[in-house]
Amino acid sequence: MSVDAPARKPGYGAYFRASIAASLIAVIKAFNANKTSWVGLGLFLAMVLLAVLAPVIAPYDPLEQNILDRLQPPSAEHWLGTDFFGRDTLSRILWGARISLTIGLASIGIAMVVGSAIGLFSGYVGGRVDIVIMQTMDVLLAFPALILGLIIVAMLGPSIANLAIAIALTAIPPFARIARAPTIAVKNREFVEAGRALGYSDKRLMFGHILPNIAPEILVMGSLWLATAIRVEASLAFIGLGVSPPTPTWGGMIREGFENILDSFWLALFPSIAILIVVLGLNLLGDGLRDAVDPRLKGEE
Amino acid sequence: MTAFLLKRLGFAFITFLAVLTIVFFIIRILPGDPAYAILGDQANEQALQALRARLGLDQPLFVQYLEFLRGVAVGDWGVSLVSGRPVLQDILEVMPATLELTFVSLFLGAVIGIPVGVWSAVRRNKLTDYIARSASLLGLSLPAFVTAVLLLLVFSIQLRWFPVISSGQGATFGERLRDLALPAINLGLIMAAYITRVSRSAMLEVLNQDYVRTAKAKGLSFAIIIRRHCLRNTMIPVVTVVGLYLGILIGNSVLTEIVFNRPGLGKLIIGSLYQRDYPMLQGMMVIYTMIVVLVNLITDLTYGFIDPRIKYS
Repeated sequence: MSVDAPARKPGYGAYFRASIAASLIAVIKAFNANKTSWVGLGLFLAMVLLAVLAPVIAPYDPLEQNILDRLQPPSAEHWLGTDFFGRDTLSRILWGARISLTIGLASIGIAMVVGSAIGLFSGYVGGRVDIVIMQTMDVLLAFPALILGLIIVAMLGPSIANLAIAIALTAIPPFARIARAPTIAVKNREFVEAGRALGYSDKRLMFGHILPNIAPEILVMGSLWLATAIRVEASLAFIGLGVSPPTPTWGGMIREGFENILDSFWLALFPSIAILIVVLGLNLLGDGLRDAVDPRLKGEE
Repeated sequence: MTAFLLKRLGFAFITFLAVLTIVFFIIRILPGDPAYAILGDQANEQALQALRARLGLDQPLFVQYLEFLRGVAVGDWGVSLVSGRPVLQDILEVMPATLELTFVSLFLGAVIGIPVGVWSAVRRNKLTDYIARSASLLGLSLPAFVTAVLLLLVFSIQLRWFPVISSGQGATFGERLRDLALPAINLGLIMAAYITRVSRSAMLEVLNQDYVRTAKAKGLSFAIIIRRHCLRNTMIPVVTVVGLYLGILIGNSVLTEIVFNRPGLGKLIIGSLYQRDYPMLQGMMVIYTMIVVLVNLITDLTYGFIDPRIKYS
């Protein structure tokens, strides 16, 4: 009697395609259930578009100083005014969006992959390994992210890559937790049992069968944590640990605006509004999606 | 009760050690030489080695770790490179200002957040609910330094109601209060945003319970149902939040202290980052770890009081 081995072992590519497809379906359903998600997505995508198009649409060079035009209020020439060095605020906000979004997306991307892998592994293996890993994650979760980020950036130096790493490190524990809970719930379901009975490898079960089931939740948390990451990046820049000047960052612009707040309050105001738009957009998006994905809230509306 | 207390204390101690260990190794594993960072590019090898020896960095990692733990245990946290005074002394000096700010903010956050959250849940999907939810979402989306700058702009610069710089050292109670007002309102409103959200969702969950329907069926008045049957059960998730969002509270308190130029742990840690005051930074990590573990212990114990079932499970 021959044992039927799985005919063809799918690669990681197939696993991730399946996960992405599952997420997309869940997300589309969620969007239809909650209209505010659309508003959030719109705000966020608009900012992404502006950031991508910054080199084309920014009216001035964000680094170009013009001492004669310094601290100008908003005008037809400079829509959002100029800063202490006569640089155009609108152009700097557009270019600053690139920094904020790059660091935010990179850090949450890293945290999502690493954190989910840890959570998936921990939940799947279970037992003592699980206890030790999750205790460690809980402990790290308790530590203030801003303080940890501050110290890591101070040690590594403030480059875009280092900021992304520092923020990613602070965001790994929540993703591990988010991925672990559904893994435990899913791992004893019939379809996983069936897979095990068919002799599928642990790798195949984890990535091919469990991951697509937990992917939507991870993705939703990703959008909420992206909001946090952008806020933390701005906070670090405000403290003076962002990407070094003269590169425009929103947090750094608010800091400079704060120094001139008595006579040119708009310098601090406009980048604040930019942060608000992105973070609010992501929160609206994530909130709406979470309501739809979270099984506890299903059937409530 | 004693067993419950002892178990929690033991657990808190282990957590404290674990966080200290993780934080210690994160700092040490990161690339970058503190001696080099402190002295800069121009320093010669001799000076670097002398500083490394002074900071104990020439010892093997494990010896450094034991020495670090010993120092924490006996209260020898090293000497600040900037002030030349013991780190612990510098920290304890500014602690009260930070504690004052956080406690008052937390109180404000609870006093505003809990009623608004409960009210918002009761009036679910009505206008008041939408307003409360939008306001709390706005509070969650604005970084603490942005709200701080806005408050300063409006109330200190335009209206001149409060001082632009709060020293936190006011001689009289009235002066202290005036100094505390804006920073506490800033931090308090942000905490209120978080607490509103959690109170609302906790209250919604409780309102769906069978015993609430029973209470309604008995003909109890709505106020009594809320007060006697719902509030206590709503409190557990709310207390959890205080523990869970402590990290956010601490981070925001740092930003608030910087904007309002208020002495405290936040200003101390930023100062030591700029000055590369390595022993001070290490001390700050220890004190933050202590605060985090202590607050988690207190939240755990509070559950026991709010919900007696937890004590015995």
